[in-house]
Amino acid sequence: MKHFRKLTGPYFAWLVLFVLIPLVLIAIYAFTTSGNPVKTLNFTLMNFAKINEPTYIKVFIKSIEMGVLTTGVCLILGYPMAYLIAKCPEEMQDMLIMAVTIPTWINMLLRTYAWMNLLSDNGIINGLLSVLGINPVTMMYTNFSVVVGMVCNFMPFMIIPIHTSLRKMDNSLIEAAMDLGANPFQTFQKVVLKLSMPGVINGIVMVFLMAISSFVIPKLLGGGQFVLIGNLIESQFVSVGDWNFGSAISLILAVLILVAMRLMKKMDVQDN
Amino acid sequence: MRKKNSLFSKFYIAICFAFFYLPILVTMVFSFNSSKSLSKFTGFSLRWYKALLENSEIMSAVYVSVTIAILATIASTVLGTMTAIGLSKSRKIIKDMVLSMNDIPILNPDIVTAIGWMLLFSSLGFQKGYMTMLLAHIAFCTPYVITSVYPKVRSLDPNLANAAMDLGATPYQALTKVIIPMIRPGIFAGALLAFTMSFDDFVISYFVSGNGVKNISIVVYNMTKRINPTINALSTIVIVVIVVILLLANLLPRLGGGDNKKNNQNMKKLVAGVAVFALVLSLVTCVANKSNNKEARVLKVYNAGEYIDPDLLTEFQDEYNCTVIYETFESNEMMYTKLQAGDAYDILIPSDYMIERLIREDYLQPIDWDCLTNAEGLNPDVMNKEYDPGNVYSVPYFWGNVGILYDKTVVDPADLSEGWNLLMDTKYAGNLYMYDSERDSFMIALKALGYSMNTHDKNEIQAAYEWLIQQRDTMKPVYAGDDVIDNMISGNKALAVVYSGDGAYIMSENEDLGFLMPEEGTNLWYDAMVMTRNCENTELAYEFMDFMLRDDVAYRNTQYVGYSSPVVAAYEQAQEEDYEGIEAYVPRVGYEKDEIFRYQDTDIKKLFAELWTKVKAQ
Repeated sequence: MKHFRKLTGPYFAWLVLFVLIPLVLIAIYAFTTSGNPVKTLNFTLMNFAKINEPTYIKVFIKSIEMGVLTTGVCLILGYPMAYLIAKCPEEMQDMLIMAVTIPTWINMLLRTYAWMNLLSDNGIINGLLSVLGINPVTMMYTNFSVVVGMVCNFMPFMIIPIHTSLRKMDNSLIEAAMDLGANPFQTFQKVVLKLSMPGVINGIVMVFLMAISSFVIPKLLGGGQFVLIGNLIESQFVSVGDWNFGSAISLILAVLILVAMRLMKKMDVQDN
Repeated sequence: MRKKNSLFSKFYIAICFAFFYLPILVTMVFSFNSSKSLSKFTGFSLRWYKALLENSEIMSAVYVSVTIAILATIASTVLGTMTAIGLSKSRKIIKDMVLSMNDIPILNPDIVTAIGWMLLFSSLGFQKGYMTMLLAHIAFCTPYVITSVYPKVRSLDPNLANAAMDLGATPYQALTKVIIPMIRPGIFAGALLAFTMSFDDFVISYFVSGNGVKNISIVVYNMTKRINPTINALSTIVIVVIVVILLLANLLPRLGGGDNKKNNQNMKKLVAGVAVFALVLSLVTCVANKSNNKEARVLKVYNAGEYIDPDLLTEFQDEYNCTVIYETFESNEMMYTKLQAGDAYDILIPSDYMIERLIREDYLQPIDWDCLTNAEGLNPDVMNKEYDPGNVYSVPYFWGNVGILYDKTVVDPADLSEGWNLLMDTKYAGNLYMYDSERDSFMIALKALGYSMNTHDKNEIQAAYEWLIQQRDTMKPVYAGDDVIDNMISGNKALAVVYSGDGAYIMSENEDLGFLMPEEGTNLWYDAMVMTRNCENTELAYEFMDFMLRDDVAYRNTQYVGYSSPVVAAYEQAQEEDYEGIEAYVPRVGYEKDEIFRYQDTDIKKLFAELWTKVKAQ
């Protein structure tokens, strides 16, 4: 059955051109100084030394903080949602999961733009508050607005994998645990949570990945002072024009994420 | 007990859905608002849908988004399905290698992938535009198609294809008659995923596109700076289309029920429908291209965002039978980066200091003033400035200064004498917008300290940096972009640093505001049209510049944008009719403490850029 083997050929070449070479290019830019476009290769570690400055370290720390915060909120709000959906009758579950999915198919920018109108000082939420006689609250350009924007955009990616693993779960296991004398809390902790772990890990990975590299949501909802890794990379390429430094940050981000994924996968395997 | 539980769970599910759907609902509701406001509903109207249809920038973005999504879906589905089938028969090493490389674009952050492709295209010398965007979209959709098709292929009985061939089918027949029909749900799911991924993409497109080719996301990103309900109308249409596609995709197979034949027919109908749609679109493209070919006169203009009355562009194209490829930038630096990266334009509209730099670095060609019949109408006050003595290279477009917009109902008039240090007055802490621009922010700090804004003295720059850090810590300003305009119109904060032109526009919408030009002096600036060295159709370029200098055109432009026109007749008419009594429209002239930005050495420029990043990221 070797007939179809050659079908892989074109994509293999495509992968080399569109996956391998771009990564090599990023690495080349990250380790050179000659500005853009690279003509002569002047090897240097300067770009990485620069990242070591407190300001840029802070950007990394803040991005990781926002990533952890967003992932945490998504998990805390998303797990119950996935669990409750999984308890519904089959037909209903399909409908609800589709309803969770639909927003993710709609342009992220458009939804973020709507949040700007909801959260701004004279926005819709503050308008409602003032009707109730409550003083306006500043929500735009804060950690709050950025987290709200990210959670709204990314939570479906937490709910869906958790729901998938909960749905696959054999109900008799829960009954067995109860029969053996476990209380509801123990049953949840020792059986349900444990069995849904693959979904939880998948969800955490996806949300964290998107949150840490996002640059549109922090820019629109956080304002110019909200500099995360993504914003730093964008500004290096778009306004500052230091492609080498930008590439160095991108490289670090990529390595950080690929390593994190590996670790998560390992945990996943050990758990099982 | 059970009942209580289910009530609670229903409530929780409802709250979560409200959270997901609230922004979508808000967008849709306000697309029908009769006024420009996006927070107060004043009445039902379809005016934004009309505005949408008339907006050629948005319509062409819709066209780009749709055609790219269709083409990328077709290409990535074919490529992905082929590869998935091939992989299932490949040796383990090859399989593992391809699959793990295939995972990289899925796992890697979008922005890193996008930058990799941007570097790839620029190294290959590709002109950024439709082709690069299409290639990139195929490249990021295919991995998703493979991940949804490959499991289906793997679950097939490997003997099926063998059996077909034993019975005399050619490999091609085995493929099309046996394998593909069996993995159809996977292919279908992959194609759907590819379509929506491509249609909604922003990050990848933003970095790999150029030369005026924009998809919906890029246009929205550029428009978020100034509130415009046209986006809501567009969103509503996009949402309805996506929901209809999703419902069709989910319902069609179910409508067929267990009946496979019916199912198949429905599928065929759908595929045929999409194919016909794609065909019609490509025909439209051909026709559009042909009509483009007739008028071979093309002018590429690169201007700041929201800096022209778009109707004027349409009029110019009709009047001079040509096509204008119009692109916008967020900052002079962004424009320069693009030029440096090799993007070609005919006419640029940068600011004074950038023009000085472009002249020094030999990007421009001199202007033949005899070709500009309307040049006599120009205001001598804005000519012959330090950045380009004698206006050898530049034709003024707009001019103005920078000042503080203040809310008269909040700010004590006595405090105005503080000048720039008003921005350091803790009475207004948390109640101000700074402008997210390194040059303007450092200008303010340097002027507040009594230094020249063009200083090269590192101690003075350090002092200004400390001023900004102190301001950041004590005043908690928001470093905003053009969104300041809408925020100040709604009166969100008491103080804002704005360009005079934006100030004039904001004041014409909100009467409570005043405009302060601080006594310590401010930045007097000039934006001008320049012609690049590689501009070939200079005749058309002169026609464009001359058109913009025409009295009536300049008037409509200044009326629309709010910035002060260098054309005397337009300037006077706007002062009398549109901006009467609005001090921001009439920038201060001849004040000795006001300065023009000058060219900076790379070292100084880098220093400012780094310090500014530090101020913002503290």
